Amino acid sequence: MRSLFTNRRRMALKQVSSSKCFGGLQKVFEHDSVELKCKMKFAVYLPPKAETGKCPVLYWLSGLTCTEQNFISKSGYHQAASEHGLVVVAPDTSPRGCNIKGEEDSWDFGTGAGFYVDATEDLWKTNYRMYSYVTKELPQLVSDNFPVDPQRMSVFGHSMGGHGALICALKNPGKYKSVSAFAPLCNPVLCRWGKKAFTGYLGTDQSKWEAYDATCLVKSYPGSQLDILIDQGKEDEFLSDGQLLPDNFIAACTEKKIPVVFRLQEGYDHSYYFIATFIADHIRHHAKYLNA
Amino acid sequence: MEEGAGEAPGLGRSAASKDFRFYHTDLYDSEDRLQIFPEESTRMRREGVQTEMTHEPMRGGVKGKAQRDLGEEVDEFVHLYGLEDDHDLGDEFIEENTPRIEVSEYPSYMMMGSEQRDWRLTGEAAQGEDLGFMGWGSVGQCQDLREAYRYSHGRASEEYECYVIPEEEDEEEAADVFCVTCKTPIRASEKDQDEHKQHEVTPLSKALESAKDEIHKNMYKLEKQIIEMENFASHLEEVFITVEENFGRQEQNFESHYNEILETLSQKYEEKIQALGEKKKEKLEALYGQLVNCGENLDTCKELMETIEEMCHEEKVDFIKDAVAMADRLGKFLQTKTDVEISAQPDFEDQTLDFSDVEELMGSINTIPAPSAPVINPQAPNSATGSSVRVCWSLYSDDTVESYQLSYRPVQDGSPGKEQTEFTMTVKETYCSVTNLLPNTQYEFWVTAQNRAGLSPTSERAVYMTAPCPPIIKSKEIRSCEEAALISWESGNLNPVDSYTVELTQAETPGASGVTESVVGIPTCECLVQLQPRQNYTIYVRALNVGGPSARSEPATVHTTGSYFPLNEHTCHPWLTVSEDGLTVVRSERRAPAREPVPSDTQFTSLLSKTRCAAVMGNLIPVRGRHYWEVEVDECLDYTVGVAFEDVPRQEDLGANRLSWCMRHAFASSRHKYEFLHNKTTPDIRITVPPKKIGILLDYENAKLSFFNVDISQHLYTFSCQLHQFVHPCFSLEKPGCLKINNGISMPEHVTFY
Repeated sequence: MRSLFTNRRRMALKQVSSSKCFGGLQKVFEHDSVELKCKMKFAVYLPPKAETGKCPVLYWLSGLTCTEQNFISKSGYHQAASEHGLVVVAPDTSPRGCNIKGEEDSWDFGTGAGFYVDATEDLWKTNYRMYSYVTKELPQLVSDNFPVDPQRMSVFGHSMGGHGALICALKNPGKYKSVSAFAPLCNPVLCRWGKKAFTGYLGTDQSKWEAYDATCLVKSYPGSQLDILIDQGKEDEFLSDGQLLPDNFIAACTEKKIPVVFRLQEGYDHSYYFIATFIADHIRHHAKYLNA
Repeated sequence: MEEGAGEAPGLGRSAASKDFRFYHTDLYDSEDRLQIFPEESTRMRREGVQTEMTHEPMRGGVKGKAQRDLGEEVDEFVHLYGLEDDHDLGDEFIEENTPRIEVSEYPSYMMMGSEQRDWRLTGEAAQGEDLGFMGWGSVGQCQDLREAYRYSHGRASEEYECYVIPEEEDEEEAADVFCVTCKTPIRASEKDQDEHKQHEVTPLSKALESAKDEIHKNMYKLEKQIIEMENFASHLEEVFITVEENFGRQEQNFESHYNEILETLSQKYEEKIQALGEKKKEKLEALYGQLVNCGENLDTCKELMETIEEMCHEEKVDFIKDAVAMADRLGKFLQTKTDVEISAQPDFEDQTLDFSDVEELMGSINTIPAPSAPVINPQAPNSATGSSVRVCWSLYSDDTVESYQLSYRPVQDGSPGKEQTEFTMTVKETYCSVTNLLPNTQYEFWVTAQNRAGLSPTSERAVYMTAPCPPIIKSKEIRSCEEAALISWESGNLNPVDSYTVELTQAETPGASGVTESVVGIPTCECLVQLQPRQNYTIYVRALNVGGPSARSEPATVHTTGSYFPLNEHTCHPWLTVSEDGLTVVRSERRAPAREPVPSDTQFTSLLSKTRCAAVMGNLIPVRGRHYWEVEVDECLDYTVGVAFEDVPRQEDLGANRLSWCMRHAFASSRHKYEFLHNKTTPDIRITVPPKKIGILLDYENAKLSFFNVDISQHLYTFSCQLHQFVHPCFSLEKPGCLKINNGISMPEHVTFY
């Protein structure tokens, strides 16, 4: 492990782009991922405050089909992040260009649909280790290369990324100061997307799936303080399609007394327009815990 | 020492030369000195002079003795006296004073002599006497008195110092001890000589010390006496001026009185003379008239006589004829009465002269005139207290007044029929503090001046007003936030007052407890005062009227931590009760009475509506900014908390209109339902952990109302609400239970993000 870490640390980050935004810098880097064994891009926003001191980091996990670009170009999170002094890191949603058979066959599996799990099935287990990537490799990389306080990190995401954010927080009590999600897949073991992805990456043993299911994880969550904010568009087609299943998650949290504020937003759909509407609320939600 | 030695002869040459010479003679017996200082030439010279001088007074004494044949005692006295005085003085003394002198009388002479002099000399004389005593107590009284006498002749006290100093200085070279008995410095070696063998001897330095001490003491006394006498002199000057003034005034007074009397007398003279003249004219006229009348009668008589005589010479027939006619005429004439009474008496009727008024005037010359009416001053600002006023007046300066009579009575507004009691007091000064009055009340004052001659007319009447009673702060209605407090109070006075003053002291700084900030000129019984955050203040209120400020009210305390508001019982739904501390709302289990009293306009009600919502409002301070408070709730309780405008409809549910913004909790079939209601609509929000304590943040600046689960720092919801006017916290219970309000608390940090 030591040699691995040393090796990784040596790996150079390659800056792809850098643009000034709300006094800070929106950058994109490329690096060779150890976990994913491919070149990966991630976006990082450095607020003005990062010039003078270490800032907390907020990880954004995107939804199906997204790259690091969707969030940084559509959500309009920069102003709030700049004001609250948060470094925001947005990774890609899957390994890319691994030449795995079937990788590009569907939009909800393979490329752009990593589901934030560490795959166990032979075909995928070498590259599709997005869980380890976003919870270990990427935070290490960020803390090694940017002025951040590794003790202060939070996570949020959208849809499949919302699922990713919830499981990252629930599987690592205390690691993340707070978590929030836009229209997350709350109970993937029970929805078509989840079943397809988990079958593909984890195999058919459904008991293994529960380790990556937020609703299931809540039931065994040890109870460390976690404030969960979830926004859900009421006109979200995937909500009515039964892909998101927030009620199951809320019921589980109510039972386990895990604090959730779930806001069913009248008229909003699943798009980034919905995200952009409430992104400031979420940034503030995280800032409250990260800057406390 | 050398200085002192030089000073002595210098002084000797000056005005007091005679005295100087003589005191050496006093001090040093010539034989002794010659023995002690045979080699000292100056001493010798001086001594020579002195030896000569002694003879002259002696001669004088001899002369006196020869002339007056005084006894042996006198002889001794003259001898002593002569030693210190030169021949002129001695002669003078003998000529003028010797006849009275006896040794026993000598002190009294001294006293008399000095008393007759200027006061300054008196002081010095007495001082001199003291000095003599203190310095040389062991020597006989005569010597003291001699010294005193010297000083009474005008010697300055400094010279007295010289009197002591030279005796030591001169002996500096040789003498080292002091013979107390002989009062002379000697050399220690001489101690064994016959002369001082039996004498008490002290070290020279010690003798010097004690002599200096004595002198300093005496100087101090002298200074004191000078000051006293100067004070006495200035007092005398004052008396002098006063006497001058008083007599001047009296002179004027006499002059005017005598002028008045002379005028009166001359007026009386004129009147009398005129009256006499008129009387004289009248009498003369009457007498003249009578004289004329008398002449006419005489003429008639004569004519009748002539006619009768002529008739007698006529013929008988004619005579008879005429006689008859004549007899008729005569009879007629004689019938008319001839007035022979003198109509006017020649003598002068005794007319009494009335000089009583003159006598009165003369009698009043020796007395002063009665004073004129004093002028009463209007009330001075801030001169009154709640129970007293200070009344001032003045008089014309040339009036002499022994006392004033100050009268007053309350000014009554309403019932003029009922006469108020008058009070009168006698005072010597031109002011008076009248006590035991009613607060905030007008009194009418008038004053008369009085002296031996009588009372002056009454002054004008002036209205004075006592200060008001202190107001009573409504401590339970105080509202505050971090920047301000709203204080209200009861006037405490039946009549209106001019204004109020609020005084506030920051209690946090005990060292600067005197620092008091005041808000003045408050017209109403309410004041919003600006304060510093998170401090404790003690607040007082005073009422003011023209008479001045009242005493302070009882203090009230304000803590500017968070926002503090009491519940407004006027808004309380009849089903609710508010606890004694005003911060717990209870809806009891009992069912509401079938017939409720008709609610007031301000009271929440369930009459004429289907609402089961029983509400009460809090009185939040009307200050824009941020206000935070918390409500403790039961998880299973149905409640509504939020804010509403003051004019929110009282018969509607909170949140069912555009005038209120509320969080409502309903618990049904083991499910919690949370609504954030405004105008009957709510967002769809699910909350997994039921809050036990709800934090409410009202932010006027950002037009937001936020709710929090305090225990887990969870943000629940934020309204965006345009608050065009001030809102008040509101609380409602839909089921029996209670809400406990925590206010006056600082805002938790997590709240500051919203």
